[in-house]
Amino acid sequence: MSRRREFLSAQGRLVMLLSAALATLFLLSLVTGANPLPLWRALHESLADTPTVLSLILTEVRLPRSLIALVAGASLGLGGALLQGLLRNPLASPGLIGSASGASLGAVSVLYFGLGAGFWAALPLGGMSGALLAMLLVYLLAGRDASIVTLILAGVAINATMLALISLLLNLAPSPYAVQEMVLWMLGSVANHGMDAFWIMLPGTLLGWLLALGSGRALDALTLGEETARSMGVDLVRLRWRLFLAVALTVGSAVSITGSIGFVGLVVPHLLRPLVGYMPGRLLPVSALGGGLMLLLADMAVRLLPAGTEIKVGVITSLVGAPFFLYLILKTRRVQP
Amino acid sequence: MSPARSYRIATLLLLLLSAAAPTRAASPPGRVVSTNLCTDQLLLLLADERQIASVTHLAREPNSSFMAEAARGYPVNHDRVEELLALQPDLVVTGGHARTGTAALLDRLGYRVEHFPDAADLEGIRANIRRMASLLGRRARGEAVIGRMQRRIIAATTALPEKPLSALFYQPRGYTSGSGTLHDLALHLSGWRNVAAEEGIRGFAPIDLERVLLARPVQLFTSTYAPGTDSLAQRQLRHPALRQLTAARPMIEIGYRYWICGGPMIAEAVERLARARRDR
Repeated sequence: MSRRREFLSAQGRLVMLLSAALATLFLLSLVTGANPLPLWRALHESLADTPTVLSLILTEVRLPRSLIALVAGASLGLGGALLQGLLRNPLASPGLIGSASGASLGAVSVLYFGLGAGFWAALPLGGMSGALLAMLLVYLLAGRDASIVTLILAGVAINATMLALISLLLNLAPSPYAVQEMVLWMLGSVANHGMDAFWIMLPGTLLGWLLALGSGRALDALTLGEETARSMGVDLVRLRWRLFLAVALTVGSAVSITGSIGFVGLVVPHLLRPLVGYMPGRLLPVSALGGGLMLLLADMAVRLLPAGTEIKVGVITSLVGAPFFLYLILKTRRVQP
Repeated sequence: MSPARSYRIATLLLLLLSAAAPTRAASPPGRVVSTNLCTDQLLLLLADERQIASVTHLAREPNSSFMAEAARGYPVNHDRVEELLALQPDLVVTGGHARTGTAALLDRLGYRVEHFPDAADLEGIRANIRRMASLLGRRARGEAVIGRMQRRIIAATTALPEKPLSALFYQPRGYTSGSGTLHDLALHLSGWRNVAAEEGIRGFAPIDLERVLLARPVQLFTSTYAPGTDSLAQRQLRHPALRQLTAARPMIEIGYRYWICGGPMIAEAVERLARARRDR
């Protein structure tokens, strides 16, 4: 009992620490950019009636950008933790099992073809349905008790299909700009959005977070095996649907605004897992915070690049994440020869 | 015009005349095929209609082509080798950054292929017009086109307000035109300062929205394309911060067809930019 209390407080400390780091980084993100922004003066001017350049930059450029990075990163981190817990597979993540590319496909088919034009939720709904569809396909392809390799292969196949379809749709889209946006949907970016984009992605995200909330205990039980989890009263079919839906809602909403940003969902849970005693339940909030941190940091790095360049934030996360992915593969190979 | 500048033009002219000299002996080509939008427009502008065997499908597209109306009467090609061979050209004109595979292949097959570099200034535009006119055996027509272009530019830019004001081309996807572009040239001719060039941007490159807001250009210009379609690029022009910036002075649209290719249409773009400067 005393050990449990100690663990909880350690968990509490970790959550507090990450939250504090996230809050600090968020403020830093508001003052970081190609041009210095005196935060205090900008805040002051934002409260005045007539918008000034400083207040516009703060409230219409940096605030939405930072909020979107934070929320999308949190969703990706959480999605990774949920999928790794549910599938009991260290390589499961939104990027690898198709939810991100599926969400891109869904968003692309809505945006460029004027489906649901004027209906604000059309874009995230497209992303969510795409994400759900892709995940179900991977799950069906790989089978319920898929080995790591089978799951990843199924993910690779679905990802390839989704990317091919995205490319096809962008080539067929009536807008001449569509083809050039391929990179954006593949690598992702949080730049150049207004607050409206943030409000659009928020409802689905919150709904997904709520769905994920409280699944921690079931995920903890699942580490003991499906039989044991079932004997402990976990309804596996319901849990699976609930979490797939949660990932579809959060990742679908995020990706429909930012494009699919790779590796956040893979790297973050892995880095944080040792800190929560390898308990998937405890990993959920921590991964969400960590995901927000990682994406905010990556986006701040992108912003400091010189003018005239256009590096997507996904380039940074992938450059960090891909070597990490390799390391994970080598590690799993050592464990199961 | 500065002496150095006129000297440059004079040397260029001499060079071009000497380069074009051998072609004068042969009779002018009778089946000219163009495989690039820019050479399409030069061809349609300068050639006798019987000389034109084919232009690209883009030449008919009114958003891209200044000569869309004139292009209607001619067969179109899509820069595919089979197509071009069937046309039996005695001269193939092409342009763009790199020599396309098609043109290189035709060259190897023994066809006469002439490549036109993209023109990014008035000298380049004049040189391209003169070269095309000379290839077609229509020098007088070429000089007439150049003369009309120069007269229009001079008429539009005399009696402009003294002080240049800041302006910026903001395109879908947050791109702008820095130094070394036709936009930059036209802005300078018509009494504007190009904020993008002053920010150190060269060529066609993205500009940070924050920089645009901070520089606070007096006037934003844009060249949108394909109205009625949607993409993230086009949504960028509707960014709330940009809406606030342009609330008092809406963006002025100056279509893409003025800028895709360097040509005499630059005169009309300058006229429109100068009008905007005078209204200011």
